[in-house]
Amino acid sequence: MMNDGILIDIESLVKKYGNLTAVDGISFAVRKGECMGILGPNGAGKTTTVKIIQCISPSDGGTVSVFGLPAGLSQRAVKAQLGVVPQENDLDPDLTIRENMELFGALFDMPKKTVRERVNANLKFVELYERANDKIVSLSGGMKRRLLVARALLNEPKVMILDEPTTGLDPQARHMIWQRLRSLKSKGVTMVLNTQYMEEAEQLCDRLLIMHKGRILKEGAPDELIKNEVGEEVVEIRNHEVKGILEKLGGLEFMHEEVGDTLYLYCRESRDILTRLAGFGSLSVLRRPATLEDVFLRLTGRGLNE
Amino acid sequence: MSESMLSHRIYYVWKRNLVSYRRFAIPSFIASLGEPILYLIAMGIGMGSYMGLVDGMPYLNFLAPGLLVSTSMFSATYECTFGAFVRMKIEKVYNALIVTPLTVEEVVAGEILWGMTRSMLSGFIMLGVLLAFGIPNWKSFLLMPLLWVAVGFFFSSLAIIVTSFAPHFDFFTYYLELYIMPMFFFSGIFFPLDRMPAAVKVISHFMPLTYAVRVSRSFIYGNADWSVLLNLAALIIAGLFIFYWAMHRMKKRLIK
Repeated sequence: MMNDGILIDIESLVKKYGNLTAVDGISFAVRKGECMGILGPNGAGKTTTVKIIQCISPSDGGTVSVFGLPAGLSQRAVKAQLGVVPQENDLDPDLTIRENMELFGALFDMPKKTVRERVNANLKFVELYERANDKIVSLSGGMKRRLLVARALLNEPKVMILDEPTTGLDPQARHMIWQRLRSLKSKGVTMVLNTQYMEEAEQLCDRLLIMHKGRILKEGAPDELIKNEVGEEVVEIRNHEVKGILEKLGGLEFMHEEVGDTLYLYCRESRDILTRLAGFGSLSVLRRPATLEDVFLRLTGRGLNE
Repeated sequence: MSESMLSHRIYYVWKRNLVSYRRFAIPSFIASLGEPILYLIAMGIGMGSYMGLVDGMPYLNFLAPGLLVSTSMFSATYECTFGAFVRMKIEKVYNALIVTPLTVEEVVAGEILWGMTRSMLSGFIMLGVLLAFGIPNWKSFLLMPLLWVAVGFFFSSLAIIVTSFAPHFDFFTYYLELYIMPMFFFSGIFFPLDRMPAAVKVISHFMPLTYAVRVSRSFIYGNADWSVLLNLAALIIAGLFIFYWAMHRMKKRLIK
């Protein structure tokens, strides 16, 4: 049953592809009006998770309830109330922008008049109204993404699912998408957002799941996660003998991590550290605020995910 | 498979293909008709002028009913192999459709319905060509749409199964060269099967087009009897099995 405004409720979800466990017993809930981010590297299980929510992939264990209904392949009622921006562009290249939108709207059994009104309104919303009669091939990558957003909104979904909506876009196009999504958020649209961009997660998400190898490593608001996992500030020291530095900093409160040629010091306040290091001679030191990227890399490891 | 997997939404898939087709109508028309017309002229008129009567009629007339169904088979086959593969793999149309309230079964059924439409269309055009050649008589053609539906249904469904296994375009060459083309030549279109060696006769029983050609000939020359009805029924029943298998196969391919 639906309670406390929980729209999506996932309990111990497992998904396997042959021998590979893509999702390994994750649990989380999405509440009405929030933007829930799933942050993780390639292969973390983000897309698999949302495909199960979308009722286009069966699970191998656990329960997934969407709008109080069990997710499953034949669950039309769930699909009818979701708006999906897929990772891979699936706009119909044989059709114009308007035809794409109108045919898609019809799939939700909406009256023709409603479809036409919403197509116009949504094309205006993503600033593609003037291009309505153009072919899909004439659009840039960013325009295609915007059109996918407009298309996903046609059925006025209860929840929007965005699977890496800005991957592969240039900065201008990315910011344009973020603006549109923030505007939807302010209208109270609930979102589930898969991303591998820290900035995207920080800009848009109220809550974040950090996912890695099919598991959820941490959950929380972006600023909370930063504060709890790495603190406020980071000092990066390059090309120096680590042991000597750590001895010199004895008694101060910080966490450290050594990766390649760099020593990372995570702390609440870096002033004391920097004062002591000042007496150390010529050091390459960088001091900066802690970011989500630090949290992410600390949790998932700074090695390559290949 | 529960009944609720199929609904009126099949029509949306069909409609999408129609809207897309309008843009390519003329080139695809020419492509799907060129071949049978070529056979009609080369074999029917060219070779026919050196032959006596076949089964008691001029060769062109013997050939006509068979080409009237083979053109229908080819249309359905091309549409649901190459056409469907492009939509599935390159244009990602299926992916976009199944995210909405549509099921994979409806996507497949819509594709097959569209294949049948194309096969019917080719049939009618071929019919127009035959009438221009003066092959009698238009009244006997009234039954043909029924046969085109059966042929279109069977071969569209079969083609979807092939597509569900296809890793790339080249895969369809095997299907066309090893199954469709031999069937085209050994299903009784070009020569009566009863004079063929026993082996060819046996093989022809496993070629669904054989049944369709038999039905077509008896429709066109007005000598339909109960056995014709059996041939037609066999084609439709086999088509139903293939159709269900096609839905099952595509689901396996698309749902992971």
